[in-house]
Amino acid sequence: MFATILQTVLRQVRRHPLYVGLNVFGLALGIGVFLTLTLLVRYEYSFNAALPDVDRLARVDTHWTMPGTPPGEVAGSTFRAMPFLREDFPEIEAGIRFEDTDLQTEREGVFTSFASGLTDPGFFGVFGLKLLHGVPDQALARPDGLVLSERAAIRLFGTTEAMGRTVPINRAGVTVTHTVTGVLARRMTPDFLSDIEMLAPFSSEDVTTRFCFRSWASDCGRIYLKFRRRGDIDAVNARLRDFVIRHAAGAEGDHTAFGVHPEKVYGLSLAKLDEARFRDFHVLYAEDGVDRTVINSIGLMGLLALALACANAVNLATARAGLRAREVAIRKTLGASRRVLFGQFMGEALLVAAIAGVLGLALCEILVPEVASLTGEELVVRYGLVGVVLPLIVLVCGLASGVYPALVLSGYRPAAVLAAARMPSGGRGAARLRDGLVTGQFGIAITIVICMLVINHQTDFMRTADPGYVRDGLLIGSAMPGSDLAAQRRMLDALRAVPGVVTAGFGELAPRPGTKNLGTYSYDGPAGPVNVYLLQDTVGAGYFEVYRPRLLAGRWFDIARGQDDVPSRDDMRTRMANVVVNAGAVSRFGFASPDQAIGKIIRSGGWTTRIIGVIDDVRFESPRQAIYPEIILFDTLAQRPFSEPIPAIRFQGVAEAEMARRLNRAWAGILPDVASDFSSVDARMAAYYSGDERRGRIFTLGAAAALLIACMGLYGLAAFAAARRVHEIGIRKTLGATGRQIVALLLGDFLRPVMVACLLACPVAWVVMRRWLAGFDERIALTPAHFLIAVAGAFAIAILTVLGQTFHLARAEPARALRAE
Amino acid sequence: MLIALSHIQRLYRSDEVETTALLDIELGIEAGEFVAIMGPSGCGKSTLLNILGTIDRPTSGSYSFGGQELTELGEAALAAFRRENLGYVFQSFNLIDELTIEENIELALIYRRMPKAERRRRVAHAMDHVGIAHRARHYPSQLSGGQQQRAAIARAIVGEPRLILADEPTGNLDTENGAQVMDILQRLNDEGATIVMVTHSPSHADLAKRRVDMLDGQVVISVRNAI
Ligand SMILES: Nc1ncnc2c1ncn2[C@@H]1O[C@H](COP(=O)(O)OP(=O)(O)O)[C@@H](O)[C@H]1O
Ligand SMILES: [Mg+2]
Repeated sequence: MFATILQTVLRQVRRHPLYVGLNVFGLALGIGVFLTLTLLVRYEYSFNAALPDVDRLARVDTHWTMPGTPPGEVAGSTFRAMPFLREDFPEIEAGIRFEDTDLQTEREGVFTSFASGLTDPGFFGVFGLKLLHGVPDQALARPDGLVLSERAAIRLFGTTEAMGRTVPINRAGVTVTHTVTGVLARRMTPDFLSDIEMLAPFSSEDVTTRFCFRSWASDCGRIYLKFRRRGDIDAVNARLRDFVIRHAAGAEGDHTAFGVHPEKVYGLSLAKLDEARFRDFHVLYAEDGVDRTVINSIGLMGLLALALACANAVNLATARAGLRAREVAIRKTLGASRRVLFGQFMGEALLVAAIAGVLGLALCEILVPEVASLTGEELVVRYGLVGVVLPLIVLVCGLASGVYPALVLSGYRPAAVLAAARMPSGGRGAARLRDGLVTGQFGIAITIVICMLVINHQTDFMRTADPGYVRDGLLIGSAMPGSDLAAQRRMLDALRAVPGVVTAGFGELAPRPGTKNLGTYSYDGPAGPVNVYLLQDTVGAGYFEVYRPRLLAGRWFDIARGQDDVPSRDDMRTRMANVVVNAGAVSRFGFASPDQAIGKIIRSGGWTTRIIGVIDDVRFESPRQAIYPEIILFDTLAQRPFSEPIPAIRFQGVAEAEMARRLNRAWAGILPDVASDFSSVDARMAAYYSGDERRGRIFTLGAAAALLIACMGLYGLAAFAAARRVHEIGIRKTLGATGRQIVALLLGDFLRPVMVACLLACPVAWVVMRRWLAGFDERIALTPAHFLIAVAGAFAIAILTVLGQTFHLARAEPARALRAE
Repeated sequence: MLIALSHIQRLYRSDEVETTALLDIELGIEAGEFVAIMGPSGCGKSTLLNILGTIDRPTSGSYSFGGQELTELGEAALAAFRRENLGYVFQSFNLIDELTIEENIELALIYRRMPKAERRRRVAHAMDHVGIAHRARHYPSQLSGGQQQRAAIARAIVGEPRLILADEPTGNLDTENGAQVMDILQRLNDEGATIVMVTHSPSHADLAKRRVDMLDGQVVISVRNAI
């Protein structure tokens, strides 16, 4: 039996290479794309899943409900809560504080940056990660201990045998020598610690001096807790409101607490780590979060690619069935039973599917590294999964593409077939099935293409959209540690003296800001006081010329006007300061226009400020996030230093890379012990866009595959329709139809299902994309252009495909067609 | 003279062999004639008919129809010529399986600009003429050979062509059905249509007004039948 089947398949390859080729490669493409995308989706779904005891792990998140801003959940909380949590909740088995940071190693003035975490010695008690070398309990017990990832060990020492070796770590200008006390074993499944290359304990100075260890109102990292039982997480979560009331309350004016009713503005909650990947998409500053809908869409796209390919196989097989009717009829006359014929056709379909499956797996092996580099994920082909899925796919595809033709063919009555003048088309039912499948295929392909166009347009738009300042010719440095007035003045002078620099200026915020200060300001409006939670920035001379924000009303700060300079901390209660606000603040306070805001007084605590200018909103953060209403103070460096200012410079006439090198050198002249990294706005903001861009690339890939598969299907069908209709075309031409009329007839037949597909695809894509775009604060409008391009493209491709098949047919002398019987 | 063929030659070239289907045909046909073409299988009868019908082109020579030289016409002009002037009947009927009898017949008018009502009227008339009106809504596969051939004749005459070409119209039919078909053709000729018919049956050939015998791609004899 198998030999017969193999023989028939081989014969078909020889006699109908087009058919077999389209069938096998179409199916292989579908299977390859499906496997690849399934692996990608599985990767996303397995995020954090392999952390030991992940079901008992949770992160403490903070909820802010500040006036003028919609409430939001932030991934992280003050470290102040830590001891109270342990005290109040015996359900907590272990807990640690964790701060994401970049640690710099310093060797002879050369800094190398490592994505790192500062944490507590009990880290491994919460996260039971395996160590390649070292003892988990002791690895972070020494203040100079350092745990390296396998990769970091190799980067530093060329080997994982790094125990006991020393690493000079530079933090804010101070170098401390650490000793390697552990090397992490590599993990195959991704988690939120995957990128971490170094782990070091907090220094005792951190713990005693930093605000986020001491104040409820400040946070710089995250608390992770391990509970005794999973159920405890919800139980404790429910009691956190009381917890906040008990511990975060404080007297009026106490900067480390939230006054008498902390629960009105502040809340804590527990985020389960095994659910974090998708939940975090809606949590602020949780950068690992991904949109579950997007991941599911990618999975769906893989499934659709497979469905398309299967539909193709079914389609081609039914079309082919007609061509084989005569063969079947003759076989039957010669005594083949229905069962034997059925088995034969099913066997053929399964064999073809199996060959396609092997090719699909090969394609998957090629695609996976590509996708991994496109998405930046560590994706590998997992044979555990593939080994189960692939045979299933082959079976399903084989059965699907075999059963209809096998039933139809084995069911033919030989007399009818042999008596008919020409090959049967499989009847009206088969024709309708074929049309339906073409409609489905193109519908899916067009939907995916529209989505791809919109997604790529949006990501492109985010990159290029006006951020409210001029980002070209701009380089931004690292924050200067501390608040040393003299050093800050010297730094500015040094940077301004670098050849190529047009202007330099300080700001406490910059694109992709690190620390942010927010405070409540109030305006005594005609209808009572209006409170708005404002983001605060302090900027210096030159800032306006460097960033070039758009002034909407009033004026910018003037170094010559003493009122513009921010008062020293001692003078703040007595002296009014002039401030500039952004457009968002103007509308939050309820001023009718930017002009209306000029001269208005807004207060915060005991401090009074007057608005002298309004600038347009400036985007320093993710385009998904709304821009904060903002207040800007001016510091001339006359008396008051900035707190950790970020220098920015505008340059001209020098290549960006060269400019950055010069600036880093100038910086090293002032702060030789602090790593400097002057980089462009695009480089700093890249992380905000990269996720969407990667997924845009996946969609492009999927769209291309879907379209290709759909076209292969159409091409095959057109070829068969042409073959089947040679005779009909001959008759029509004999009766006086011109070549053009014949082409039009054939095109019409094929374009009808494509047109229906467009009508179905457009509304679906519209709904899906509107929902996706709603997730962006700054977004493109859905225009008919997106749809028209996709539809026109689909039509063009369909027309070319059909023309390629029918043109020669329509032109041929009819006598030949009639003779070809 | 309605049709004048002169020095018509038709060669078929394949990779190695060159077949001469028509060697050097000289033939004139008057309007209103009924010509029967006879000859052994493979002598070029169908090729000649195809060239007369412009569904094949001669390799060389000239073909004039009603004074117009057809070998110089382009594809679209030939299609227009066919739809205005010609009707075909084939040995193997050549009806389209997916269309009903009525639709098959209508096909001969569909490429002309003609109102739907007029088309319907003419189709009904043609079906009456050959006696298959009661089968209008059937598909070809549901009809007997004789009925199919009568439908094919209806299709050939529905456009009221000046020339009807019939390639062994009775070849696939039994005696009775063959006689019926010949009856119809004769009637059409009496009504003024010019007919050229290929046949293997001497008795059917005798029903024509003129008989042309072919051999190896050439016309050997052309005789007028006594009436
Ligand atoms: N398309 C073709 N290709 C090659 N040879 C052909 C073709 N059509 C006809 N012939 C050859 O031309 C000759 C005449 O054929 P035809 O006109 O069909 O003969 P008949 O008189 O039987 O109708 C035959 O030898 C045939 O083999
Ligand atoms: Mg013949």
